[in-house]
Amino acid sequence: MRPPPALPRLRAMGHDTTLTADSTPRLSGDLAVWFFILAELLAFGVFFAAYAFARMRHRELFDAGQALLDRNTGALNTILLLSGSALVVRAVQGNQRGEGRRSARWMLGAMACGLLFVGLKASEYAAAFAAGISLSSSLFHMFYLSLTFFHFMHVILGLVVLAVLWQGLRQDRYRQDANPLESGAAYWHMVDLVWLILFPLVYVIH
Amino acid sequence: MSSTEHAHGTPLRTLCLWSALVGATLATLFLGERGGSLMAVALLLIAILKGSVVALEFMALRHAGMLWCGLVIGWLLLVCSLIAFAYWKGA
Amino acid sequence: MQYKSQAVAKPYFVAAIGLFVGQIVFGLIMGLQYVVGDFLFPALPFNVARMVHTNLLIVWLLFGFMGAAYYMVPEESETELYSPKLALAMFWVFLVAGALTIVGYLFVPYATLAQMTGNDILATMGREFLEQPLLTKIGIVVVALVFLFNISMTMLKGRKTAISMVLLLGLWGLAIFFLFSFYNPHNLVKDKYYWWWVVHLWVEGVWELILGALLAFVLIKVTGVDREVIEKWLYVIITLTLVTGIIGTGHHYYWIGAPEYWQWWGSVFSALEPIPFFAMTIFAFNMVNRRRREHPNKAATLWALGTGVMAFLGAGVWGFLHTLAPVNYYTHGSQITAAHGHMAFYGAYVMVVLTLISYAMPILRGRAANSPKAQVLEMWSFWLMTIAMVFITLFLTAAGILQVWLQRISDTPLGFMATQDQVSLFYWMREAAGVMFMIGLVVYIVSFFVKGDKVAEA
Ligand code: HEM
Ligand code: HEM
Ligand SMILES: [Fe+2]
Repeated sequence: MRPPPALPRLRAMGHDTTLTADSTPRLSGDLAVWFFILAELLAFGVFFAAYAFARMRHRELFDAGQALLDRNTGALNTILLLSGSALVVRAVQGNQRGEGRRSARWMLGAMACGLLFVGLKASEYAAAFAAGISLSSSLFHMFYLSLTFFHFMHVILGLVVLAVLWQGLRQDRYRQDANPLESGAAYWHMVDLVWLILFPLVYVIH
Repeated sequence: MSSTEHAHGTPLRTLCLWSALVGATLATLFLGERGGSLMAVALLLIAILKGSVVALEFMALRHAGMLWCGLVIGWLLLVCSLIAFAYWKGA
Repeated sequence: MQYKSQAVAKPYFVAAIGLFVGQIVFGLIMGLQYVVGDFLFPALPFNVARMVHTNLLIVWLLFGFMGAAYYMVPEESETELYSPKLALAMFWVFLVAGALTIVGYLFVPYATLAQMTGNDILATMGREFLEQPLLTKIGIVVVALVFLFNISMTMLKGRKTAISMVLLLGLWGLAIFFLFSFYNPHNLVKDKYYWWWVVHLWVEGVWELILGALLAFVLIKVTGVDREVIEKWLYVIITLTLVTGIIGTGHHYYWIGAPEYWQWWGSVFSALEPIPFFAMTIFAFNMVNRRRREHPNKAATLWALGTGVMAFLGAGVWGFLHTLAPVNYYTHGSQITAAHGHMAFYGAYVMVVLTLISYAMPILRGRAANSPKAQVLEMWSFWLMTIAMVFITLFLTAAGILQVWLQRISDTPLGFMATQDQVSLFYWMREAAGVMFMIGLVVYIVSFFVKGDKVAEA
């Protein structure tokens, strides 16, 4: 007999990775991690809205500040994060087919994308600091530095997660239980997802 | 096995989605040369599309039931609407 | 009781309840002074009563935390306490130092007390909540360090569980942040800046870890739910707590002269602080719903659930109410702050200590749970105190809204004292609710002395 649809989700509060029938909804990753992801999305969402409403009252200031940013770097960083996400998906797919060990290299590729992102962003920061820009320079710079740095810290945390998963894949630890792999992957995608709004908002739209 | 087999799609599907996402990013870059409220809305729509792909496909939320799809897509729509509202009011 | 040495928790709990009574008595005195200005003047000025009220609160909560840790850690670590003798010795040191300090507050003018206790050598006195003389502060540090040594050694020789690690992290944090009470720079901006590192990072940071760990411990005991599940949620909760709470300190930097970006950082992150409190509530109810056993101690379960709800209301909802900079611009330092302070302290920390006492005390007295009669009485006291606190909060909030309106928003603003006169009706109602609270507290204490059929031996 098939359990009523609400049950598997409730059970997910436990450590339940029972494989469910085809049509039953199934969250990829642990419910606790997803709760955390929602909290993160809320945090970024509030920050984005604050940016938009602050800009509403200081348009010229924001447009002038934004004009100093390098949009191409921003776009390149977007592509890096997207590629990282796609590579993580490949690793998860590989693990599902029972090729955990072989798919570790996809994870390594994702980490390379993340590291490149960190490098590019760090060089942007270096240029900004060299130009004497700080949190108190202007409202736009306050937001630019705060938002991107908050995100930057998430990329670094995400990279730590990916490194752990890479290690796990190399030891083929997720063959029986893909829950940790899927949870970590979901977290990394979240870091990507918020950047997809951050990039047009801070770098492009004017 | 089970639905998990397909939850994250096939490598080919992932490749196609990735190309589309990169294409959309380049579109954002080129369209974004121009400013204005209409352009802001267009760029936000692109962001919503890209975000939906990441959420539904990469995060495999399309297999997670209405509640979770609703929460994350709802977040995307809400945040982008708030931004659009502020840009439209400020224009 | 599984380990003999857990018994040292008992005097800590008894002292905590005793000081709790003192705190409420001074609260009632002050509540009356609010409306009858010269009540007990000049024997007991308002500022002295206030100091005694708040310091007793902090000290009895510390007694409660220490007692809770002495009870919980041996059981979690599955070993006897490293040194029960040391724990008892520290109990007396802390009690005597605490009592002497209160006597000093009451019978010696504050400035004289400062001179007598070496405030000239290192000036640390005079800041709200941290008024203790230098000697007392040093005493607190010594007691805390010995306590931490004792607890840490116990954990080192025994089983290390996630719950006890979180508790220990919280307790170490408590001691470390207290050190900022010794740093009292002349620059008023810096003074306030670091003062909040104690006050805010305590209640919205490390104490929350203690809260989470104690709640998790009691929930495991009364529900029998898998440790693994509870621990996972504890991790999520403490991560959210630390991220939002630490950056959320910014909500106290709005108007003290710190850089302007704190208005944004503080608003955004402190607005998210309710999330971990909300998670704690969901967590408590979820675990109780999924319980695997019917624990005979119904009162403890009630306290645990109550902690979740009231902490969320007091800290989460009433905190959010005034945490955004544009709102706080008007409400800063008004009765709205006092409303929030009362419900948050009660809902989170008073209630979690009472939860632990409720669970542990019967066991310390040789039974799994109290007789049904005693439990019914205890549950009455739960409702009396909790409802009274809801009323105190509502009346103060009403007074606060009026105050902000009359004094800060209206076109013809009134002065501070004139405004106070206008809202005195609410202060009378607050005092009445305070009496109800006191009755609840008396019922609570009586419930310890009610006999009746014993429920299951421990
Ligand atoms: C259990 C947790 C908490 C306790 C015990 C607590 C207690 C207090 C106390 C006693 C004060 C008054 C400090 C003073 O000026 O003397 C205060 C102030 C404040 N609290 Fe909390 N609080 C808690 C959690 C929170 C949370 C989660 C938020 C935000 C969402 C918050 C927001 C504030 C704000 C904005 C103030 C400053 C009010 C003003 O400007 O006058 N608190 N809190
Ligand atoms: C467990 C119960 C209680 C707790 C946790 C508590 C806690 C506190 C705290 C944290 C403060 C400092 C508030 C601030 O800085 O804004 C305070 C002040 C005060 N409390 Fe209580 N209290 C309790 C019960 C009572 C009762 C029953 C009354 C009287 C009816 C009372 C009357 C007062 C008064 C009058 C102040 C001074 C407010 C001021 O400075 O304007 N409290 N209490
Ligand atoms: Fe605070």
